[in-house]
Amino acid sequence: MAELRLDGVVKRYGRTVALDGMSFEVGDGEFFCLLGPSSAGKTTTLRAIAGLEPLQAGSIAFAGREVTGAPVQGRGMAMIFQTFALYPHLSVRQNLAYPLARDGKARDEVRRRVDEVAELLRVGHTLERRPATLSGGEQQRVAIGRAIVRRPKLLLLDEPLTNLDAKLRHDMRTEFKRLHRELGMTMLYATPDQLEALTMAERVAVIRDGRVVQTAPPRDLYARPDSTYTAGMVGAPMMNLIQGRVRHAKGGATIELPFGALDAARWGDGLRAGDEVILGIRPHDVRLGSDPHALSLRAGVRLTEPLGDVTVLDLAARGAPLKMVLREEVASRLKEGGEVEVSFRPQDAHLFHKETGVRIG
Amino acid sequence: MATVTTPTPVRSPTKAKMRLPRRRQEIGKAGWGWTAFVGLVSMVYFFPVLWIILTAFKSRTDAFAIPPKLFFTPTLDNFVSVFYRASISGGSQQTDFPLYFFNSIFIAGLSVLIAIVLGTLAAYAFSRFPLKGTDTYMFIILTTRMMPPIVAIIPIFLMFRLTGLSGTYFGIILLYTAFNIPFSVWLVKSFFDELNPEVEDAARMDGATEGRVFFGVCLPQVLAGLAATFVFGLILTWNEFLFALLLTGVETRTVPVAMARTLGGEVGVDYGLLAAIVTLFLIPIFFVTFLLQNQLLRGITFGTVKR
Repeated sequence: MAELRLDGVVKRYGRTVALDGMSFEVGDGEFFCLLGPSSAGKTTTLRAIAGLEPLQAGSIAFAGREVTGAPVQGRGMAMIFQTFALYPHLSVRQNLAYPLARDGKARDEVRRRVDEVAELLRVGHTLERRPATLSGGEQQRVAIGRAIVRRPKLLLLDEPLTNLDAKLRHDMRTEFKRLHRELGMTMLYATPDQLEALTMAERVAVIRDGRVVQTAPPRDLYARPDSTYTAGMVGAPMMNLIQGRVRHAKGGATIELPFGALDAARWGDGLRAGDEVILGIRPHDVRLGSDPHALSLRAGVRLTEPLGDVTVLDLAARGAPLKMVLREEVASRLKEGGEVEVSFRPQDAHLFHKETGVRIG
Repeated sequence: MATVTTPTPVRSPTKAKMRLPRRRQEIGKAGWGWTAFVGLVSMVYFFPVLWIILTAFKSRTDAFAIPPKLFFTPTLDNFVSVFYRASISGGSQQTDFPLYFFNSIFIAGLSVLIAIVLGTLAAYAFSRFPLKGTDTYMFIILTTRMMPPIVAIIPIFLMFRLTGLSGTYFGIILLYTAFNIPFSVWLVKSFFDELNPEVEDAARMDGATEGRVFFGVCLPQVLAGLAATFVFGLILTWNEFLFALLLTGVETRTVPVAMARTLGGEVGVDYGLLAAIVTLFLIPIFFVTFLLQNQLLRGITFGTVKR
């Protein structure tokens, strides 16, 4: 059952179109992620759902009820803002109690629930302090606490990890997963970071220019991106996208690439000779050494980027850039400026129309 | 000349350092040399005030002594003569200064208060609910403060005569309120603009009505700013002379006007008396500034928001 449904939502600011027919559904208790670069419309989407932005067109339904145009107060949702947006003039305890007080809850119940949430999020020691005196991670946890203290049916999260350092981000990702499991509330999480989307979400909607371009579970999104846009967005390091052209030869169709031809039998009859295509190959699928069943090529090593356990190699083959990932102990034997023999197999490749960016096959 | 130690190069303070008590951290950073230097400059600024206060406690001969006396026998005669003057019959007669002090406090206090209330409401509206051309309106509001007030004195004088506002509390308070509103709107708007609007959105989502958002969330965050605006407005209005001279009557006269009237006469300027009035006149402003000091320095909204 769909808990939240957006249908053709349009939001314009003057001449700029922020949301251009945004539609998607989120199931009850689902962890749903909106993935897109900045200014793709993620924040506006969340604000529209919360009722903070009036819409020009479209409708929003929540918990079986049309909420388009309904006041912000009383929608039964909570939001975690990018800036945390804690009340600076109130203590942590007062911050956590604020939503409950607005609901008119009795004083001892407020106290009990605040203590409960403070313990769940391990901020009990900060209760009497002002938000300004807290560390970034503590502020974040208080913001989460304030959002969940009155047990909303839907939690909106607007890039909640953007303002934290790398180590904290990692911890908080686990924390969000844990909270989702323990509280069982529906979560809608907006982020520009594909890693956050892949690690936490049950389903991801990729956003571009105010509309959804693909919705899928993280694994499918990674394995079968619908378009070059999604392909470039999901996975790190980014998928290699190489321009090519379809050619029919004696042995069947091939794809002519700057550094050689790849057997295109896999894509069957869908390809016409002369078609301009973009071939995608993930850096992890580029192997060291030659392979008779694959496209093998020689490439120069331009740069090495050690990440600790693995190293990203920045290669160039006949002018075309190509990235690959190697285990550190293998990569350490290669030198910048040297040459390597690499290969990749047709079954690992993704093919897209050059003009539309749409996936083939 | 005081020797000045070279300040240590500015480092970005670590988080732990930021939590040190303000005062200790700052002296630690600037060093005693700079602290002493700033103290010296402050003394130069404070000197005229100090001079006036000292003169208020001097006898007439001490006040005119050359070279000036730094050590003298203090006397309260000047303060007494602010409130009582010798009458022809040999007894003493009460002056009207208690009334003038009341007038100054009442007129300045009330007009600044009204201006702050109206200015804050207007500033919030301008900051949060912008109209088409908000900048133009803000500019127009400012233009009223661009010309020297004396330019408008004749029309204002005539209007006050015509409407019977001359010499009334209502009239002068109305005028001072009108003077204070533009700058209240501008100052307070800048404080509202500094706030993080997501905090207000958070309050709305937490179930706060628009009234609560304003009174419970926005207003407490700009209290320090309101205090500063109040003090500035109060000082401006407190010392205003020109309009008070022309538009107040016997009953509504303020201290600056009354002070001017003690000048002249057959004995020349009685500097001791004048200094005593000024000293008394300083007390309410000192008092208010001191009371609001905490608000002025607290700056509760700084550093709570990561941008």
